[in-house]
Amino acid sequence: MGVIETEGLTKRFGDVRAVEELDLTVEAGEVFGFLGPNGAGKSTTIDMLLDFVRPTAGTARVLGYDAQESPTEIHQRVGILPEGYGLYDRLSGRKHVEFMVDSKDASDDPGRILELVGLDGEDAERPVGGYSKGMAQRLVLGMALVGDPDLLILDEPSTGLDPNGAREVREIVRELADDGTTVFFSSHVLGQVEAVCDRVGIMQNGRLIAVDTIDGLRDSTGTGSSIELAVDSVPEGIETLVIEGVSSLTARDGTIRATCLEPEAKLAVIDRVRAEGATVRDIATSESSLEDLFTAYTTERGAESEEEVRA
Amino acid sequence: MSWSVVARKDFEDALRSRMLWGIIGLFAVLMAVSALVPDLLDVADPVAGYGIAADLAETLVPVTALVAAYLAIAGERESGSIKILLGAPHSRLDVTIGKLVGRAGVVVVGIVAGFLVAGVVTLVVYGELAPSEFVSVTLLTAALGVAFVGIAVGISAATATRSRAMALAIGLFFVFALLWDLVPLGITYLRTGSLPTPGATVPAWQMLIQHLNPSVAFGQLVDAALGGGPPGGAGGPGGGTGGGGGAAALTGQVSGPVPFYLEDWFMFVILGAWTVVPVALGYLRFRDADL
Repeated sequence: MGVIETEGLTKRFGDVRAVEELDLTVEAGEVFGFLGPNGAGKSTTIDMLLDFVRPTAGTARVLGYDAQESPTEIHQRVGILPEGYGLYDRLSGRKHVEFMVDSKDASDDPGRILELVGLDGEDAERPVGGYSKGMAQRLVLGMALVGDPDLLILDEPSTGLDPNGAREVREIVRELADDGTTVFFSSHVLGQVEAVCDRVGIMQNGRLIAVDTIDGLRDSTGTGSSIELAVDSVPEGIETLVIEGVSSLTARDGTIRATCLEPEAKLAVIDRVRAEGATVRDIATSESSLEDLFTAYTTERGAESEEEVRA
Repeated sequence: MSWSVVARKDFEDALRSRMLWGIIGLFAVLMAVSALVPDLLDVADPVAGYGIAADLAETLVPVTALVAAYLAIAGERESGSIKILLGAPHSRLDVTIGKLVGRAGVVVVGIVAGFLVAGVVTLVVYGELAPSEFVSVTLLTAALGVAFVGIAVGISAATATRSRAMALAIGLFFVFALLWDLVPLGITYLRTGSLPTPGATVPAWQMLIQHLNPSVAFGQLVDAALGGGPPGGAGGPGGGTGGGGGAAALTGQVSGPVPFYLEDWFMFVILGAWTVVPVALGYLRFRDADL
């Protein structure tokens, strides 16, 4: 049984289709990255999982409970970092954590939680009205950790954090995942997801357009890895060459760039370029980033749906 | 007891509000001043002072309670802290009840503090406290405060934004404080085709409509507790604290015998209904709302 299971989950706000027919399963113990540009429907989906927003159609189950029928049972066992949250400006960070401890009837030591997310003693006693966005984000992450949740739902957890803070968040997520906590987190910053996620789902225009491991996505989008060769002179007609396992080949200013679907293709590229009479001066290779994958996916799909509209 | 966690946090949060302390301070000063008025008029009667204090509270308490509670839920929806509150294992019913209890607690603390100041002033100026009247008026004012907290939390649960909650709260305040006095005039006019003449009786049901205003119900209870209207008491036309001693004073004002729903005890039912019914209606909207 999945920790999160949605079937035909749909939400419309008037004419706006925020989420359409979402079927998604997140298994116990995995770190699931929920990707998509802003406005793709990620937060609306999370809001439905947490019963902040009611679906127009379909169902959502979290930890075996129906999201709309048993929200308090779900919230008891889930740690939440919501999108667009506010805090109680007059209360201290410690009071916030204490409130969550009391609410969940948990036995956590607020001081230890605050330490874990990097809020020192002095900050913890201050009213949170004076917190920076990053500090607020750390505090809410800490509140999400109260009560040793079975599932963490983090909506854009890196918002407002500097790179160091974002790295710390990733470390916390990784540690929790190692302890068996299921983590579901959304992001439009792809580097965040790539580093920690077992699987990712990509949302666009309210639809889930892909769910796979990051390797799997690389394979299926054909934007595997690339190789760049610095050459003394670019051979005539190099861009028209067909090399097995190479999806594109471009040449510019003495640099030949090939995108390879499989690692062996890189050698084939080098061999062919040399066979064409060029001297290779330097070689650079790179794995495609999730950014490339993401762009490939969303633009490709975007183009497809535009065609659908025209048809 | 999930609502009690919500109520306690809400209470602690409100106690840190400077604006709230400002209102409480102002309330205390005004209560103390009204306790002094009989002395200034050379009437050495502390009970008369309580009557004036109650008269003032009749307008002041609704404002205080509405201000203290109209943002209870709508404010959290606007700021987004509702996602923290409901992200914890509290149902929307827990949140609504917790808010009612928390804000009612704040308003009661403020009213009691205000009256304690007035009590000290009374003791110093008159050398006596008239304790049973003092306690009665304090408790009745607290009940009026709680009724308006109920109205405000109901408004707050039903609205998504600060501005809408504020518009409704201000609107209702004017309805209760000003427009309500015109209702009996209007009814009499519709009934008889002319404006009320002094000394004329009105049907009991018309008197009930007038008393459905929590402030008017409060006025009757205060009159009953103090055994007569305050000197120079300025009630609305034919009602409020201007009458005599509670329901007894209504004899002769209504046509026929005074029915149960104009008895003093029924005024508690009216205040209780204002505490509960708006909250229940507001909750039904909040329960089904997308945040």
